[in-house]
Amino acid sequence: MADDLVLELKNMIINTLKLEDVAPGDIEDDAPLFGEGLGLDSIDALELVVALEKTYGVFIPDSEVGKKVFRSVNALAEFVKTHRA
Amino acid sequence: MIFDETEIRVRFHEVDSWGVVWHGHYIAWFEVGRSALLNKFQLSPRDFTRLGYIAPVVDLKCSYKEPARLGDEIIVRTTVLKPTKAAFTFRFEVLRKSDRKLLVTGEETQVLQALDGRLLYYIPPELQPRLQALLDHLAVA
Repeated sequence: MADDLVLELKNMIINTLKLEDVAPGDIEDDAPLFGEGLGLDSIDALELVVALEKTYGVFIPDSEVGKKVFRSVNALAEFVKTHRA
Repeated sequence: MIFDETEIRVRFHEVDSWGVVWHGHYIAWFEVGRSALLNKFQLSPRDFTRLGYIAPVVDLKCSYKEPARLGDEIIVRTTVLKPTKAAFTFRFEVLRKSDRKLLVTGEETQVLQALDGRLLYYIPPELQPRLQALLDHLAVA
């Protein structure tokens, strides 16, 4: 169940950010999404926040919360599970 | 979509040794256009700071078509795209006034940061009425 959500989130990241050369398997469950790891930037964060709200009804107000939520796909899945509408 | 227009004249210190405007100065002209537009809607950098925010530029594109030269009268045209996230993208056109020849086009994206360094993931409610007035003025739908 949790694995389904992790895969779903990886696909969402790839589709939302149009990461053409990245497959879900390339994103490690525990690797950081920003900076090192997947290397996303601030605009990517803003895009993801919109997609996450639209899909799961979750609200991430700013990067203070974001740095915990986007620590990894696993952390994101945990946040979505706890906060989804 | 409507563009707001501001006029400037090319100054001596903006021209390089090839007699044309140095490429970096167009970016400063974008700022002249954006400031003139945003001042009308209480969205200037000072207004932002008073509300507790800054709006750093995170992306910039600039395409050069024709050079501007010393003494040319220039029109900087500025508009903004409809925000789909907590970022503002401005589009610019730099024209020579005499024949309205398009010299340069550009685009800049700014995000919103609180003064404590947090990147805001949503546009704060207190900015919404001013932003809406700006979008209405520019007929951005």
